[in-house]
Amino acid sequence: MTNNKLTFLFLAAAIAAAGTGTADAAEKKAALPPLTGFTAADMPGDAGGAALLRWNSPGEAAEGAVIEVHASDPAKPGWVKIKEFPAAGNLEKDMDMPFWAWRPVPGRHAVTADTTSSFGRPAAAQELEFKLRLVKGGSSVETEPVKASIGGNWFNASRLNNLVLMLTIIIVFFWTVSHAKRKGLFIRRIAGLDAIDEAIGRATEMGRPIFYSTGIGPMSLVPTIASTSILGEVARKVAQYDTSLKVPHFDPIVMTVCKEVVKQSYLEMERPDSYRDDINFFVSQDQFSYAASVDAMIHREKPAACFFIGHFMAESLLLAEVGATTGAIQIAGTEQESQLPFFFTSCDYTLIGEELYAAGAYLSKEPMLTSTLKVQDFGKAFVMLAVVAGAILIAAGAMFDLDSLSKVVTQLFKAY
Amino acid sequence: MILIKKHIPLFICFLVGVLTLGSYYVPNVHSENYLEMMNKWENIVAGFAFLLGLMSLFTSHFHKISRRAPGWGYSLFVYAGFLLVVVPAVVSNGQPMAGPAMTSLGWIYRFVFTSLSGTMFAVLAFYIVSTAYRAFRIKSPQAFVLFAAAFIVILGRVPLGQMMWDGLLGWTGYQVTDVIEWLMSVPVVAGRRGIMIGIAIGGIVTALKIIFGIERQYMGKD
Repeated sequence: MTNNKLTFLFLAAAIAAAGTGTADAAEKKAALPPLTGFTAADMPGDAGGAALLRWNSPGEAAEGAVIEVHASDPAKPGWVKIKEFPAAGNLEKDMDMPFWAWRPVPGRHAVTADTTSSFGRPAAAQELEFKLRLVKGGSSVETEPVKASIGGNWFNASRLNNLVLMLTIIIVFFWTVSHAKRKGLFIRRIAGLDAIDEAIGRATEMGRPIFYSTGIGPMSLVPTIASTSILGEVARKVAQYDTSLKVPHFDPIVMTVCKEVVKQSYLEMERPDSYRDDINFFVSQDQFSYAASVDAMIHREKPAACFFIGHFMAESLLLAEVGATTGAIQIAGTEQESQLPFFFTSCDYTLIGEELYAAGAYLSKEPMLTSTLKVQDFGKAFVMLAVVAGAILIAAGAMFDLDSLSKVVTQLFKAY
Repeated sequence: MILIKKHIPLFICFLVGVLTLGSYYVPNVHSENYLEMMNKWENIVAGFAFLLGLMSLFTSHFHKISRRAPGWGYSLFVYAGFLLVVVPAVVSNGQPMAGPAMTSLGWIYRFVFTSLSGTMFAVLAFYIVSTAYRAFRIKSPQAFVLFAAAFIVILGRVPLGQMMWDGLLGWTGYQVTDVIEWLMSVPVVAGRRGIMIGIAIGGIVTALKIIFGIERQYMGKD
């Protein structure tokens, strides 16, 4: 009897305890606020496969909770978790988008949900369902599923600032080109390019060859293309003086292009008999093998002049220093600002910055080409004004607590 | 003839240039496919061009050997080096490792090629010293400024330099590391950015010249 009483009391206590637990869990569940105002839409300005999800702030009650993003293809049942993040973050104002492409609403959250890893990226738009789950401890609340059609866009509005700048440059470019036909332009002297005649004359007098390296860049690099232009002008003068020219190459495509350029220069100077097919030759497509080979040739043949114009990396000093020890007159130019100090100290003349790109126009003296130098000047003037104006506006924004002004200026000049 | 040599290449250059430029602003999947296709084409062209390069290499060295040009003996090493790598590559089926063991190709790559490349890279250190010596010769006020800045940066990186600074200029209240940080983050960055801006503008204008057919030197003029 006593045993039965004890069993009854124990069961009663257990039921009471279980009842309290259920009540606690219900209380916990009720403590998590529902996520309201949930919307899903195509992510603007992307290549497809991403959705833009937005919802109202769950408030302080969701402190320490996380939000899970789940997606589903209506054609294939089942939900896939694609993202998880703290509930407190991801405010709309924190989205990395400029003010002209994104209007954040205070108190709203937004996140980009990339679905490509789970659902691929079909060429056409695809319809997916999304839902959010707010999780804290063992409790969770879910939103109602929302459908969104996601696909690629035809314009990335975030890059509008870049497009406007590009169109302005193109307009200025054509204006200067048309202007050049009527009037000549003053071009300041570039010592490194004026020295080309001196270098070739020296080589002719000494009866030694001229080495010209286009660097280790492929033909798709702008400095390599600029280098081929300079090579054309150098080859014209070499053909005129009947000097020996050697062009060792790192890239076979650049070699093929340079062969045509040099051949044409010899033809223009009416010296096709002096042209040899081995003026341009391939050495190696390995950086240090190329440097070792060219160094050895410079060391053995002791050229009167060396040109290092194009894209150079660590081999810049290896080449220029060996050239300097042989006493050759050296002219260099590269777009790699980290290599410029090496060229500057080892070479007699160095084309710095935009001088490399101006060289072709400077040497050929063609009105159409020289006029484009004006665009570079306009570009530099614009950058100078933008730097000064930007600095003043940012400083004013910081001084007068105008965050929006600082944000506008920063976003105007930011690359997205 | 002028159509094939001039107009068609210029049109292709314009079309590809505009499409590539446009693909930066168009995030569509077609734009991505286009860029991927262009990359594939570039790789295919590079593959064929490499054969041309190899032929050029062999031909020029063959002429040197046949003419007994000065230094023709070095040309023999081109063929010897080629065979030394290609034969083991064929034997090893192009694999540097066969399970845990190294193949003959792997051995050559690791113990010959990598060592030689490392040697060339190491030579750079000696050249930097000789270049620094040349740069530090004070011939003008500008060269003195360069020398003074470099001297502070080099000496300030070692304990001896820091001790010297503390002993001689410690009374100023500035640590040598503060001065180095200022030099590296203000005048150096300002100079670098100036050059970079010039390079970027020059690059844009050159690209436009090529796209719109104003710069045609690379295709052998008219």
